[in-house]
Amino acid sequence: MTDVMTPDPTTTIDEQIDARFKKVRRRRIPKFGVMFGMTFLTVLIFLTVFADYLPFIRSPEAGVYVNGRLQSNYKLGPGYVAWWGTDGNGKDVFAKCIYFARYTLLIGISSTVIGLVVGGALGMLAGYFRGKTDRVISILVDCLLAIPALVLAIMLVSRLDDIKAEIPFLGWMSRLWQIILTLSILAVAPLARIVRAQTMALREREFVLASRSMGAGNARIVFREILPNLVPTMVTVAATGLGILIAAEGALAFIGVGIDTSWGFMINANRARLEKAWWATVFPCMMLFLTVLSFNLIGDNLSRRFDVREASV
Amino acid sequence: MRYFLNRFLQLLLVFVIVTFTVLVVMRMGANSPEDLAIKLAGRPLSPEESADLISRYNLDANYVVQYLNWLKNLIFHFDLGYSPQANMPVEELLKPRVWTTILLGLYANFFGLLIAIPLAVHQAYRRDRLFDKVGSMATFIAVGIPGIVLGVFLKLLFVVHWQIFPSIGDKVYPWEDLHEHIMNFFLPALTLTIPIAAIYARLLRADMVMTLQSDFITLASAKGVPPGRVVWKHGLRNSLFSLVTALGTQLGALIGSAVLVETLFDLDGLGSQLVVSVLGRDLFTVQSFVAVIVLIVVVVNLMVDLSYALIDPRIRQARALG
Amino acid sequence: MSIGSPSNVTQAATREIAGPLLELTDVKTHFRTPRGLVRAVDGVSFTLERGKALGIVGESGSGKTILSRSIMGLLPTKGTERHGSIKFAGAEIGNKTRKQMRGIWGKEMAMIFQDPMTSLNPLMKIGDQIAEPLKIHLGMSKDDAMATARRLLQDVRIPEPDRRLQQYPHEMSGGMRQRVMIAIAMACGPTALFADEPTTALDVTVQAQILDVIAEQRRDRNMSLVLVTHDLGVVAGHTDEIAVMYGGKLVEKAPTRRLFAAMKMPYTEGLLASIPKLEEASHTRLNVIPGRPPDLVNPPKGCRFAPRCPYVSHKCLEEEPPLTVTPDDPAHSYACWYPVGSPEYHEAKARIASSVEAN
Repeated sequence: MTDVMTPDPTTTIDEQIDARFKKVRRRRIPKFGVMFGMTFLTVLIFLTVFADYLPFIRSPEAGVYVNGRLQSNYKLGPGYVAWWGTDGNGKDVFAKCIYFARYTLLIGISSTVIGLVVGGALGMLAGYFRGKTDRVISILVDCLLAIPALVLAIMLVSRLDDIKAEIPFLGWMSRLWQIILTLSILAVAPLARIVRAQTMALREREFVLASRSMGAGNARIVFREILPNLVPTMVTVAATGLGILIAAEGALAFIGVGIDTSWGFMINANRARLEKAWWATVFPCMMLFLTVLSFNLIGDNLSRRFDVREASV
Repeated sequence: MRYFLNRFLQLLLVFVIVTFTVLVVMRMGANSPEDLAIKLAGRPLSPEESADLISRYNLDANYVVQYLNWLKNLIFHFDLGYSPQANMPVEELLKPRVWTTILLGLYANFFGLLIAIPLAVHQAYRRDRLFDKVGSMATFIAVGIPGIVLGVFLKLLFVVHWQIFPSIGDKVYPWEDLHEHIMNFFLPALTLTIPIAAIYARLLRADMVMTLQSDFITLASAKGVPPGRVVWKHGLRNSLFSLVTALGTQLGALIGSAVLVETLFDLDGLGSQLVVSVLGRDLFTVQSFVAVIVLIVVVVNLMVDLSYALIDPRIRQARALG
Repeated sequence: MSIGSPSNVTQAATREIAGPLLELTDVKTHFRTPRGLVRAVDGVSFTLERGKALGIVGESGSGKTILSRSIMGLLPTKGTERHGSIKFAGAEIGNKTRKQMRGIWGKEMAMIFQDPMTSLNPLMKIGDQIAEPLKIHLGMSKDDAMATARRLLQDVRIPEPDRRLQQYPHEMSGGMRQRVMIAIAMACGPTALFADEPTTALDVTVQAQILDVIAEQRRDRNMSLVLVTHDLGVVAGHTDEIAVMYGGKLVEKAPTRRLFAAMKMPYTEGLLASIPKLEEASHTRLNVIPGRPPDLVNPPKGCRFAPRCPYVSHKCLEEEPPLTVTPDDPAHSYACWYPVGSPEYHEAKARIASSVEAN
């Protein structure tokens, strides 16, 4: 009887298992997408944080001078002097892009964190306590979701402008903070939904029942049992959410309701000259696109790693 | 039917809460009823005019009363208010622009589905082959691309580079001049269609992949049913849930995207008008526009819910039983 | 006879076939997986005559389900290798593509699956699901197909067939759903039916009914049956012949009565012994076969059952026993060095008995 697959009698079971493991481990090299995302973000963050100390990045305020003459009116296209050209005021497009990244990232991260905390809290409360709490919170979330996000954002930011003038103690609120606040509110609803769903699922799991049977109170269960298990989901949603919020910030700036040190603002300001000076619009577009894409890629990878559905669109 | 009554009341509640909140947000911060009247009118008022507006719209009462006043006007008189910014009743502002936005939405969803369904079905059918992988990559990027980036890119391509479409055009109804209409609407519609098609394709693909692994699919094949029919008749119908749900949420989110697209391509629609009104603190216009939008969202949600029962007889029965 | 005979169009009983209906020669089915080559079916041969019923018995992992799907050709093509010859009605089908097999599926060969709830399309009416193969294979019009479907429901003894035709699967009980599956399978009058654990998902009381319905259909249509199951009780009354599978191989084959009366394989003996008997007192310990099925990627050298065989000897671990025919019955073959009844068997049994006493 011929048996082709006779195991090699010289190797032990352990060695065979090891050999199989190595095959599995090799396959875990992160895919191209995540690598790209992480690389891009790392480079961007590095550039934007240390921009002041990097010799090849001009100040965004200073104009670009050639032979003593300001290169205004989109004089220079992409090239040696100004890598990405100059805009209408003779400022360096590349420099502006890099510097504005600071605001974008700051806004994105702050809004995501606040949204995560508030939305996560609401979701946990709704999902854990069910009943009336759940119904009230769910209706609130539904309401938030009923208004298109952008419309809500525009309303909030512009009204905050007005109210800021009326109520003195809100005077500290710069446009930046208005935007952060608004985007946080935007982030709350979807986050609350996802956290609620996850909490409801976790609530029924054995370890929660075990904890309760040992007399643990609600607060303890929520913080020691459920919250740690929510972290993977939250991290995943945060990553993808960052992408979405950054795109939203860009949109707000584009419409004119955002801060004027933003890619979105650049895009809007320069789009009239799209035909003659494409660089002033295209490069900020590219920055926005790649940043959002990077966060999306990371979020996607995380969602696959943690097996979270509903995290990516 | 008790189920629908429940749902309807729930959604009605949402409508009320949202419109009330909008009213409060828009009117907040005024120092006095006279102040509010001025804001409403958009210009300084004589004492008589001021008193007239105040009494007419209950501006001296608390927000709840003001809201009820607005609601009463809306329901019984169909009075959407007056826009000082545009110097015309809100209705007149609304009417021509509604069509633009609705058309954009219809185009985007219709063509989006037209692209997404065959794409997703084929992806699921030939799972993990080249078409599937390339398709997934494409949809992933298409979903994440910010609207303005896509719009600018398309503009660059079609207007600047290839010069197919005019840079600015007069918005025109399809029944007036079809060619002009297509010229003006193609790019904005395309900008909306691409991300929507991608979302639908991703959702449908995921559902179909799961469905195609079911036993009844194997049985259908084992009956000798040709694969085309297996996939389209047996597979697709059982995979529609995510898609239908998404249709609901997307139709609502569309207004937001429409804002960007209308601004970018200089189309005068609900979205762009809304932005102008908010920035101009045009209270009534904003109030009414938002009410219309939320109403649409609510109605769409209800219809989506209805359709679940249409698709799945099991849900139909469960609901009929209460 | 059943209520209303099967329609002429679907009656395939009249078709004459020379020779055996199904002929398997050294059939192997291997799957390429990251772990290695899984040899799910590793050299199975048998023949099945027209109108006869063959039971294929084995534990989960023995390869019996894979075998039946392999014969029909229902396995996914990616990563699957089939070797050996499968002849149906004299024609080789082992090398046919799915496209080619589609003409046979439902028409000549039909299959019923284990779980009727998941095997029926939940969103499609029963009538439509039965009518589908009729329209596809026999080109029937909608009305004819529905009329035939109605008759099929009567054949499988479902009362109120008109009402049932308009119903959905979730509105029926498990037993009824399985009857519907049988009706679907019978629709075009196949000559061979593969029943893959048809009763496992059903209540015990319903199991007998289903098996009876299958048997009745078989008789009426002179149809061959391959009944795959892990339950010896199921095959006992409803098959002509039984084939026992283990570790992807055919280890014993005999006419049903003979298998139960004079089995040769210790594995078969173990299977029989594990069935709880009515006469035993309650709470009697079940006799299970210790251990687990062999790894199909690296099967053990020698007899595959050896690691679990209570009578194992050195030869069993080294050399794989070939399929031998018993001297007194040419239809009975087995693969064992020291089968039940041989002198070595009795020695081993004595050894075991004494060691049990010693404990």
